[in-house]
Amino acid sequence: MSGSDDDGFDRDRPPRTGGRLDSDRRQGTPYTESQVIMPTVKIVAPFAFTYGLFVTFHGGSSPGGGFQGGAIVAAVVFMIAFAFGIEATRQWLANTVVVGLAVGGALVFAGIGLVPVALGGAFLQYELLPIPDPVKYGMEGVEILGIGTIVAGVLMGLFFVLANGFSDAGGFADADAFADETGGPGTDDPDQDSTDDPTGEDGPTGEDDPTDEAGSADAGAPGTAATDGGERR
Amino acid sequence: MTGTLAAGATALASIGSSAAGLPAPPVAQVTAIEASLFVFVVLTALFTALARDVLAAVIIFGAYSLGMAALYTFYRAPDVAMTEAAISAGVTTVLLLLTLAKTTRRQHEAAFESVNLPAAGAVGLLFGGLLLTMGDIPAVGSRDAPIWSNPDVTQWYIAETYAETHVENAVMAVLAAFRGFDTFGEAVVVFAAGIAALIVLRREVFA
Amino acid sequence: MSLADATLAAGYTLGDFLLVAAAGFAVLAVGMLYRAVVGPTMQDRVLAVNVFGTNTVVILAILGAALDEPTFLDIALVYALLNFLMAIAISKFTVERGGVL
Repeated sequence: MSGSDDDGFDRDRPPRTGGRLDSDRRQGTPYTESQVIMPTVKIVAPFAFTYGLFVTFHGGSSPGGGFQGGAIVAAVVFMIAFAFGIEATRQWLANTVVVGLAVGGALVFAGIGLVPVALGGAFLQYELLPIPDPVKYGMEGVEILGIGTIVAGVLMGLFFVLANGFSDAGGFADADAFADETGGPGTDDPDQDSTDDPTGEDGPTGEDDPTDEAGSADAGAPGTAATDGGERR
Repeated sequence: MTGTLAAGATALASIGSSAAGLPAPPVAQVTAIEASLFVFVVLTALFTALARDVLAAVIIFGAYSLGMAALYTFYRAPDVAMTEAAISAGVTTVLLLLTLAKTTRRQHEAAFESVNLPAAGAVGLLFGGLLLTMGDIPAVGSRDAPIWSNPDVTQWYIAETYAETHVENAVMAVLAAFRGFDTFGEAVVVFAAGIAALIVLRREVFA
Repeated sequence: MSLADATLAAGYTLGDFLLVAAAGFAVLAVGMLYRAVVGPTMQDRVLAVNVFGTNTVVILAILGAALDEPTFLDIALVYALLNFLMAIAISKFTVERGGVL
C-alpha cells in the first residue's frame, strides 16, 4: 500500500519528475470532484499568496504582521494541497523548502538579535544595527524574515506531517528497531496503521466501516510499511 | 492606502493619534451587535462541546471562530481578529480535518453527547464563581480601567511608540521591539512545536 | 468628520444605522446556526459554515464603515480568502472521509 511508484496507484504516488503541478503527469488520473475546486484554486491562490505577503510586509502600518501573514501563506499551500492532492504538493514543495523556512527564520531572528550583542549592546537592541533607520527595519526584518518564515514553515510542516500520519513512509530509518523496542506494532497496537495510508485505494473503505475491528483487520504488516518507508526516503 | 496609514493600524494607534480630544468609547451598555455576537459565540461553543460527531464539532468550531473574529473587530482589536481569522479558519480546521482523516468513525444514534450531571454541576459552580467576579472587572474601553488609567505604561506606549520605533502599528512595535525577547521565545516555541510533531509522529522529514 | 458621522434622521448618524444593520446580520448568523448544528448531512453544515463566513465578511465590512476603520477591510479579506479554504477542505474531506485528500 505504500512505497514503490509502480504498484498501480499513480494517483497516490505521483512520480518525482517535473512538469506543472496540475498536469496529468503529476496528477495521475484526477477525480471528478475537483473539477470545480482546481480551477478556482488556480485563480484564488495567487491572490491569497500576495495578500499573505502584504499582511507580512505591511504589518508595521496596518493590522497583521509576521505571524498572521505566515499563517496565510501556509494556508495557501493547504489550499493547493487540497485542490491538487497532498502527495503531489509534497513532491512539489521539497522538504528543504519547508525546513529551510523554519530553520532560516529562527536563525535570522537570533542573528538580528545577536548582532547588537556583538557590537556591545543588548539582545535585540535595534539601535545598534548597522542599517539606516535601524529600529524600524530591524523590527521589519524580525517580523518578515524571522516570525513570518518560522510560522509559514512550521505550519506547512505540521500539515504534511499530519497528512502522512503515524509511522508511514519516510519514518525514522531505524523504525524496525523502534518497533522491536515497543514489542512490535503489529501485535500490540493494531490500530496505529489501520489508517496510515489514506491515499490507498482500499483505505477509505476500511475507514468507513463502523467498527474498529474491521477497520484494523485489513491492516498490512506495519513492519513492512516502515521498512518500505526507510528505503523510499 | 495613505488613508489606511493615517488611520493607524490598531485601536491603540488611532487613539494615540487623537490623544487630546479622546471621545468616550461606546461602552457601559451592551449594544445590539455585541449581544447577538455573544449569543452566537456562546451557542457555537456549547454545540462544539456537545456535538457527538467530531466532524460536526470541527465545523461548528469554525463558525465559532468567525463570531469571535467579528467580536474582536468590534472591540477595535484588528490584530487579534486577523490572527483569529488566519489561524482558526485557515489552519486549525485544516489540521483537525487531517487528523480526523487518520481516525475511524463510530456510528452515533444521538446527535449530542449526554451530559454528565455531576461534572456539569462542578463546571457550573466554577462558572458561577467566576461570574461573581465580573462586577469588579472594568467595562470594555473604560477610562478608569487600570490598564488605561496608568499613565506610565499603556499611555506611554501609545504616545511614544511612533517616536521610538517609526512604526505605526503599536501592537507590532510592542511585539517586536518592546518585548522582542518574549517574541523570540514565542517564535522558538512555534519552531519547537514543529519538531515535537516530528518526534511524536516518528518522522525525520516534513515533506 | 467622516461619512459615518453624517446625521441621517432623528439625530442618528449613518454609523448608527450601519451598526444596527451589522447587528441584524449577527442575528441572522444565530439563525443560521440551526442548520450547522442540526445538519442533518455534512453538506448542510459545510454550506452553513460557508454562509457564516460570507456573513462575517459582510459584518466586518459594515463595521469598518460604521466605525470609520478602513483597516477592518483587511480582516474581511483574510476571511473571504480563508473561508474558501475551509469550505473546500471540509467538502473534500466529506468525500470518503478524507480518502481523496
